[in-house]
Amino acid sequence: MISKLLVIGYGNTLRKDDGVGPLAASELETLHLPGVNTLVCPLLTPELAEPVSRSDEVIFIDASVEPARDVQLRRVAPADSSRVLAHAANPQILLALARDVFGRVPKAWCLTIPVEDLGLGESLSATARANLRSAVEMVVQMRAGRLDADEDAR
Amino acid sequence: MSKTSTTNTTAKPAASPETTALRRVVIDPVTRIEGHAKISILLDQDGQVSDAEFHVVEFRGFEKFCEGRPYSEMPGITPRICGICPVSHLLASAKAGDAIMSVNIPPAADKLRRLMNLGQFVQSHALSFFHLSAPDFLLGWDTAPAQRNVFGLIARNRELARAGIRLRQFGQEVIEILGDKKIHPAWAVPGGVRTPLTETGRDRIRSWLPEAFATTRTAFDLFKKTLETHKREVQIFGNFPSLFMGLVDAEGNWEHHGGKLRFTDASGNVIADQVDPQKYDEYISEAVQAGSYLKSPYYSPLGFPEGMYRVGPLARLNVAEHMGTPKADAELKKFKKMGRGAVTSSFLYHYARLIEILASLERIEGLLDDPDLLSEDLRADAGINSLRGVGVSEAPRGTLFHDYQVDRQGLLRKVNLIVATGQNNLAMNRTVAQIARHYVRGGGDIPEPVLNRIEHGIRCYDPCLSCSTHALGQMPLVVTLIGPDGQVLKQQVRGMD
Repeated sequence: MISKLLVIGYGNTLRKDDGVGPLAASELETLHLPGVNTLVCPLLTPELAEPVSRSDEVIFIDASVEPARDVQLRRVAPADSSRVLAHAANPQILLALARDVFGRVPKAWCLTIPVEDLGLGESLSATARANLRSAVEMVVQMRAGRLDADEDAR
Repeated sequence: MSKTSTTNTTAKPAASPETTALRRVVIDPVTRIEGHAKISILLDQDGQVSDAEFHVVEFRGFEKFCEGRPYSEMPGITPRICGICPVSHLLASAKAGDAIMSVNIPPAADKLRRLMNLGQFVQSHALSFFHLSAPDFLLGWDTAPAQRNVFGLIARNRELARAGIRLRQFGQEVIEILGDKKIHPAWAVPGGVRTPLTETGRDRIRSWLPEAFATTRTAFDLFKKTLETHKREVQIFGNFPSLFMGLVDAEGNWEHHGGKLRFTDASGNVIADQVDPQKYDEYISEAVQAGSYLKSPYYSPLGFPEGMYRVGPLARLNVAEHMGTPKADAELKKFKKMGRGAVTSSFLYHYARLIEILASLERIEGLLDDPDLLSEDLRADAGINSLRGVGVSEAPRGTLFHDYQVDRQGLLRKVNLIVATGQNNLAMNRTVAQIARHYVRGGGDIPEPVLNRIEHGIRCYDPCLSCSTHALGQMPLVVTLIGPDGQVLKQQVRGMD
């Protein structure tokens, strides 16, 4: 039986490279990978907890300005407790909501895509474009069982 | 977006007669990317709070970014300012386009836009109440942050937490059924809307209503118990006289998407009525405040800062005579008894939000019976008939203005957006100062329960920092204590990863 994988790509598509998360999820949707559903959103909000809880696995895709230069796939666990000061959560909080409100938490990963330009606009930098392709390929490989996703990958 | 933050601020207080001896505060521009909520608390010689400010660092670049683009693109662009209230920007933008075309859109299109706005109210207010506010007044100010959050709420009452998430889901469902996407539905356009509501979609919305009403009832019961134990908060959390502004219909009743502007004062007197939204700038000016990137709108006839006004649920219920639906009207009657003329306590924004959820559900229920809703006559078509168009719609947080000026080809020459959080900024400042005066003593650490109260004072307004900062919905809080000589005595940070 094929596990249900939910891919959530989030970010602001009007802030140039910040849109890589939604773009990656949109591109994965076009590949029609078996058992894969995608969601595109600007923010992670609490009502996502229910579809997260109904999935076997979840990948959160987001832009990153951390020093790492490679696309990173890291396991992520639910928060023990956390603070929601505003309307948006992070993957850990969302997983915790899935567990505590809906009673189920899937295996989850954060797939972070290094970017460099968060200015206003809809274009991607060369770095973001290249890393976006790598990120999509990583998910494809993972789905095909050719990537050991229980280890952090890059 | 994952990011590291480095914040380096030197503080300057805003100028006022009481603080002229203090050194000026400058907000470091780095913080605008982060979207921090920054609070400066100024102490006098005796260690008492002399003033306080809540700084929302607004990123105005968005308006410049839009110049030169066709006005017809704006309903596709402006919702992406904000992932929290995209529908509000979508609808205000489409209305600005209607005005440029000088069209009255088909009745069915207007009703569908209203339906979407009502869904937006439900989802936004539900999140504000259940996730952002209820943990505070259910679990108590003195509860440690690790428990005083939505997880503490879940532990206390899992079903309530689930009901709150599902109420928000209902609002999102309405939006998605209409616009085919939960976020940024490019569905409302100048002249009308793109697609009709289907019978299946209508029935799906209708099937959610019983649960939504039940959850709202539970929230009312909960909040009314809260009022009995939070009398002090009602007194000091942003309780001061101010003007109020909102949309009303021709009879002075609650409006969320059409109608005209009304201003009232703290005694409930109407001081300006049936103001054409196209002429908002004859009544509203914007002041630049020292030490902030934010312009503060004010009621022009009274000048700045006397013309401070509040917008959003509290204001809308103050300016309206009736909600227009029976259950919400019954609650409005009780609500209005909590003030003399106007209800002035910002803590009661929470109550007003619940009444608006109820009104929205009742109106959704009524709209669903209207056969017009399934009509396919949804677009009016015209060229450029006015070089300026203003679109005004009530967002959950308050009145939203999209003001576009175009050339003869319809390319934007100037864009001005006035968002709710900006309009409430002066009031948020006063709220923070009021709470700080009650609880902050001396220049030492500010205890957590005091920080909790200050934070909640801001949260009463449910500010959308995404709109104001164009950041990503985070609200880390930086609280700075400043001594009488302008020296930063202490800086405390919370909520930054």
